[in-house]
Amino acid sequence: MKDTIMACQNLWKVYGKIVAVKDVSLRISEGEIKLIFGPSGSGKSTFLRCLAMLTPPTKGDIFLKGDRLTRSDVDLNKARARIGFVFQHIWLFRHLNALGNVELALRRVMKLTKDEARERAMQALREVKMEDWASHYPAQLSGGQQQRIGIARALARKPDIILLDEPTSALDPELTGEVIDTLRDLAKKGITMLIVSHEMPFAREVAEEMIFFDEGMIVETGPPERFFTNPDSERAKRFMARLIKRTRRD
Amino acid sequence: MDAIVEQLLLILRGLTTTLFISVLSFLVGLGLGIPLAFMRVYGSRPLQVFVDLFEKVFRGIPELVLMLLFFFGVGFYLRFPFKSAFITAVFALGMRSAANQSQIFRGAIRGIGEEQFVAARSLGLSRLKSIVYVLIPQAFIFSTPGMGSEYALLIKDSSYVWVIGAADMLEYADRIRKATNDLVTPYVIAAFLYILLTFPIATWLDTWGSRRKRKLGL
Repeated sequence: MKDTIMACQNLWKVYGKIVAVKDVSLRISEGEIKLIFGPSGSGKSTFLRCLAMLTPPTKGDIFLKGDRLTRSDVDLNKARARIGFVFQHIWLFRHLNALGNVELALRRVMKLTKDEARERAMQALREVKMEDWASHYPAQLSGGQQQRIGIARALARKPDIILLDEPTSALDPELTGEVIDTLRDLAKKGITMLIVSHEMPFAREVAEEMIFFDEGMIVETGPPERFFTNPDSERAKRFMARLIKRTRRD
Repeated sequence: MDAIVEQLLLILRGLTTTLFISVLSFLVGLGLGIPLAFMRVYGSRPLQVFVDLFEKVFRGIPELVLMLLFFFGVGFYLRFPFKSAFITAVFALGMRSAANQSQIFRGAIRGIGEEQFVAARSLGLSRLKSIVYVLIPQAFIFSTPGMGSEYALLIKDSSYVWVIGAADMLEYADRIRKATNDLVTPYVIAAFLYILLTFPIATWLDTWGSRRKRKLGL
């Protein structure tokens, strides 16, 4: 039995009258890759942001390697420093070049020396095969390259887990491949990841478990094979049929 | 011709005073303006009201009135530091500049957008560190055209100090007028020098800013 890296219990996120996340529980073990998918507006992104403590949940608990992040006296900066987050719209720091983007947290959060930070940042850039682009600014890079920098930025601190919020869905179709390749490399290295994505062939290849999310809830979880052949719930069945049809058309 | 050169050299004696008053008040304005702008955008409601009030007061009162008020009015009760025309000028200009730069910077912060802040926080950077390392550097680039005009305004308005008696460029020009009865040349020379001090730096800041913005895709 592998160690649990991240878990949440009965997590709720409520905005006024709108319930974005409804009683969600989840557990991810070391080296595991889980993939969340479901219709847009179903609360997947909100859920991921709660896990990263970027938006505190309304109710429920989040654990990172046994530490309860939802305790009121937790230092949220320290907690966030242990979690990698990759955004759908990338959000690189536009005034810093690729290296600067990756280095920033190493210097200012982890307090590494200049040389150590540079070394670690270059290492992370190598892992996403962007070391030759270190001095380029985000605006000088393609969307796919930017997202690989975004992944390197999340990776460089060696976080306990990386949360990825639709890392390819804002990219042009011809640019998703390079990002998927990068994620595949990380998967091979045994990095623990929770990914929101609709890249189904990729999911089938790397995910231990797929989680179907709808209306703020987990509707069904299971191995990819089951979702691709015969999901239990009617909603998942219909959604998978639509996804597969769209993939074929592409 | 010799007379003009002679006058020019005399007026240039006031250059350091003019420059020091302008640059120092710009720095005072920057040092106060940045925190005020962040207080206005991210602060609590009372802080926001305070910043609004501060801006209304110091932008609403004419600069000359401010200077006289501090020099004579406040200076009567508080001889230090308002006995000095130089310090009073830096203070009076600096306060209005803080109000102006707060507004300029606030616009710049809004232009950056919330995303950059969220991305910074996701790495474990504290609020303050996110502001210092991510928001302020970008806000500087966004604020360059406004900062250029603010600097030009300070160079020009530093001439008000003549009223309370510091030896700036205008004061020397005026002395020449009194001594020679030449009513035109000294003021024309001073005017020319003011343009020379404002125009190139404001333009340079503007071009630097737009070039930077283009490079960074801002």
